[in-house]
Amino acid sequence: MFNGFSRSVRGASHEARDLVCQDSSAHKVTEYYAVAVVADGHGSKKHFRSNVGSRFAVESTVETIDRFYQDPEEFEKSFPERHKAVIKNIEKQIITTWNAKVTEHITANPVTPEEKSKFTDEEFAAINVESYYGTTLIAAVAGRGFCFGLMIGDGNLVAVFDDGEAVLPMEYDESAPANVTASMCNANAASMFNSFYRDKKKVLAMFTSTDGLYTSFGSDYDFLDFHTIIASNLVKAEAMEASVYKNLEKRSHFGTEDDISLSCVFDVEGVAENNELLLKKVAENKEKAAKRRKELLTTGLKTED
Amino acid sequence: MNKENMNDAKQALDDTQLDNLLDFDDDDPLGATGVSRKSLVIFFLIDTSGSMKGTKMGELNTVMEELIPEIRRVGEADTDVKVAVLTFSTDVRWMYSAPISIEDFEWARLRADGVTSMGAAFKELSVRMSRNSFLNSPSLSFAPVIFLMTDGYPSDDYKKGLAALQANSWYKFGLKAALGIGQEANDDMLAEFTGSKDTVVHAYSGEQLANMIKIIAVTASQIGSKSMTLSDETNHELSEEDVSAAKQKLLGQQIQELVGQNGTDDVPFDSGW
Repeated sequence: MFNGFSRSVRGASHEARDLVCQDSSAHKVTEYYAVAVVADGHGSKKHFRSNVGSRFAVESTVETIDRFYQDPEEFEKSFPERHKAVIKNIEKQIITTWNAKVTEHITANPVTPEEKSKFTDEEFAAINVESYYGTTLIAAVAGRGFCFGLMIGDGNLVAVFDDGEAVLPMEYDESAPANVTASMCNANAASMFNSFYRDKKKVLAMFTSTDGLYTSFGSDYDFLDFHTIIASNLVKAEAMEASVYKNLEKRSHFGTEDDISLSCVFDVEGVAENNELLLKKVAENKEKAAKRRKELLTTGLKTED
Repeated sequence: MNKENMNDAKQALDDTQLDNLLDFDDDDPLGATGVSRKSLVIFFLIDTSGSMKGTKMGELNTVMEELIPEIRRVGEADTDVKVAVLTFSTDVRWMYSAPISIEDFEWARLRADGVTSMGAAFKELSVRMSRNSFLNSPSLSFAPVIFLMTDGYPSDDYKKGLAALQANSWYKFGLKAALGIGQEANDDMLAEFTGSKDTVVHAYSGEQLANMIKIIAVTASQIGSKSMTLSDETNHELSEEDVSAAKQKLLGQQIQELVGQNGTDDVPFDSGW
């Protein structure tokens, strides 16, 4: 049986300037699968409807996964063998659904004079309609016997498997220029996704988050340890949800002050059966963190005049 | 904090709610997980060649020890300032194996010896300024500050090292400043490193050296840790190129203003110190 939760909180820098939260998040749990999805609207000048765009991105993803699971037993049977092609197809369908929502929205809500007033006529003419709604997207799907994920743009997907390890199955790509983020609004968006598929190890919990969460940590270790702590407490799901929400509020105010979204889905029996292992991992991670700190402060060149 | 308030991300938190967020709760499994503030790395590139021996190195060690508390004050508001020190003489060496938070940083006194392998230092810096190396902290929010101090001309092919550095995006967006110590330091070469003459200054005496290091390091840290990405008139984010150019220009202006106010008459390095 799957369960899950999701939440978006507005960052302090956006509150201070009375800007809307540009993140969106959602999750859906069924008997056969659970999906956790978040999206981070770009927020810069030409993406002036990115809060709407991020909402459309999470809606499009949930609807698309739902369509692919229309015949769940058939999907479970055929997907493992054809996962690469199916995931590519899912990515294309998400983009198509998102584009349809954008078209419908702009038709019903044409650009207002106020929105247009921020640009010269020449500048405005150069912006594609899809760019108004520009957003990233990160989705994780836990199925029965496999899991997969896909993302476009920045953000993170963390999976906790039944060996107790929290991992980032899709790595950060440094080759992307520092200020260019792949986006749902790109003309070739369907070809810009990263994805992964696993069926060898059993997934206990999957998390997707926008970059506001990641940037509130001092290291990748701390970021992954945070997810292991959550996984080790999912046996008390309601209390854990409250703790996560409080923590996200704290991070959005005392970290990098960005909007933060976190969505989580988990295997209820899996986290219960492996709870002892997860708690042991949390204790090990704590010891390793103390050792790393000690090494950092004692190694390196020390010379005397 | 009650659930209704948490559900409304649009509602600004009042003081009581902020207090509640900061309350440490033993029963909260995530209560002890640290929240990192925005972080900034300051790189000091320091010439420790033989010509720095004596007063220059003694003054530099003293002023760097004094500088640490001043940089701590820059960061205490909302930025975690980290420091990385690369020394170059015949070899290039890092003082610590990674950038250290200013709260934990202790200056290890340097000694001078050997030749000036500045090109090798530039090359080493370009390797370490990467998400896979010294700039791997998720909370890194600002382009780095890079501060070069030297008293002479490089003894190796600095242009080759500088070319490697100039290809690094962190260097391109970083705030660069340089301090020439004594008569032998070449301002034109230092301007090649910073990209502008405004961000190059010269110290000819112990007192000037102390003043210049403090002016540059503190001003660059203040400007480097300034959030400019949400500051334009349309309430939308500026591009990284715009922020970088604006900060570099501001640094040049402020350094020149402050340097103009700090003229001294004490004895120059090159006349007997």
